[in-house]
Amino acid sequence: MSDQHVDQVTDRVHTIVADIFGSLDRVLESVVACYRACGSFACADLAAVRPEIFACLSRTHEVVAGAGVIVAPGVLADRRRWLEWWQAPPEQDPTFLDVDLDPESLDFYDYTAAEWFAVPERTRRRHIVGPYVDFGGTDTYMLTFTAPAEVDGRFLGVVGADVRAARFEELLLGVLAASPTQITLVNGEGRVVATNSPRLPAGSLLLDPGDRLPLPPLPWSIVTSAADRAISPL
Amino acid sequence: MLGRVSQLPKAAVFAPVDDGSGRVEVVVRRLAEAIALGLISDGDQLPAELELANALKVSTVTLRAALAALRERGLVETRRGRGGGTFVLAPTDPSAARLRRRLRELSTSELREIGDYRSAIAGTAARLAALRASADNVARLRHVLGRLDAATSVGERRRADGRFHIEVAAAAQSVRLTRAEIDIQSEVGELLWLPYGAAADPRDVVRGHTQVIDAIEARDPARARALTEEHIDKGIERLMEFHWRLVASE
Repeated sequence: MSDQHVDQVTDRVHTIVADIFGSLDRVLESVVACYRACGSFACADLAAVRPEIFACLSRTHEVVAGAGVIVAPGVLADRRRWLEWWQAPPEQDPTFLDVDLDPESLDFYDYTAAEWFAVPERTRRRHIVGPYVDFGGTDTYMLTFTAPAEVDGRFLGVVGADVRAARFEELLLGVLAASPTQITLVNGEGRVVATNSPRLPAGSLLLDPGDRLPLPPLPWSIVTSAADRAISPL
Repeated sequence: MLGRVSQLPKAAVFAPVDDGSGRVEVVVRRLAEAIALGLISDGDQLPAELELANALKVSTVTLRAALAALRERGLVETRRGRGGGTFVLAPTDPSAARLRRRLRELSTSELREIGDYRSAIAGTAARLAALRASADNVARLRHVLGRLDAATSVGERRRADGRFHIEVAAAAQSVRLTRAEIDIQSEVGELLWLPYGAAADPRDVVRGHTQVIDAIEARDPARARALTEEHIDKGIERLMEFHWRLVASE
């Protein structure tokens, strides 16, 4: 089914995602360069990547809420686990995200098990996770975009960007609102990323999504319904 | 500091064990809990085997097996010869005294409030998780529960159990419920998992949580909620019991 409104939503989604990953590519190059330049790769060496992280945050200003590098265990000489992650509060300088990396702690941020880390590690491809509740980290309903960093086949970790689910939805509001019929963007597990249906809040599961229009290479699909959105005119 | 336990007003500790199944474990739990709550102090001598077996209404075989288990856990030691017998080795962990004091000082209405709030948060989280959890969420829940099952220390159990409740709230896709659950766990987790005196048998907790995960996976929100509320009510009931025992021991 071809529908100009669906095409508009699809185009907009691809553009937003391409912008985010495009910006992350520069951080990725910087990580690889930093790793190659350092004999013994230590935590302090990641300071060299910081300017690219800040540049990424400023390029994607008002879209990306945080960005950085998450290092695979054992890669850094002096830290078992490390997040070089910076958040961008509106109108302020980036702040370092300090998470609990103590495995003994109740709040332990066990990122190696997190999908945004584990999937790029396994597939060595870009991945998008969410929306999900990011607890222990930012305590926000989040979408996370990650790409694997590797040198000569060695997995160094991931570079990533966080986009608040609420912000992502906002970026699509215009094209969604323009459609008289229901258009729903769902992720690989059938969870609603954004929609114009008043009965399907983002985060709910579409258990029987019916016809899906996949959006390769993204792990997402569009689900449409001929039903009108049943929003009564004012 | 050395007193004969049988002379102290600790009737509840030595009330007959009426649970037909796993009597050894029931005795171990009862005594371990009394030690954790400070109802039996470090250095206290337990009544002679026959006397204690009679008081608990268990056979001496059962009692000996229970004492052997307590010895293995380092909670009692048996000294031979004159002045010998079984003596309590209370955990020296300074947090144990602090937790006992807290549990003693909480009023019953405060304990009830904790239960009411936990029930509202965890019950709703379980209901919503049954509507919204993905296969990945369910897999994570089972993974955390596996950690609880494999835990060998009370600290590990507290962390894994806390993590389980937090993951249920995350599976419900609610940042607010997750935040509330983290706060609850840091407030009551250590009371529910007292060193040597957990408010619930870890195996019961694992069994109960497994049923909750099954209900979430089966997309049965009413059952997920009911099972969760039941579990929380039971935990609070135990804390009330502990509270009253501490009051009675003064």
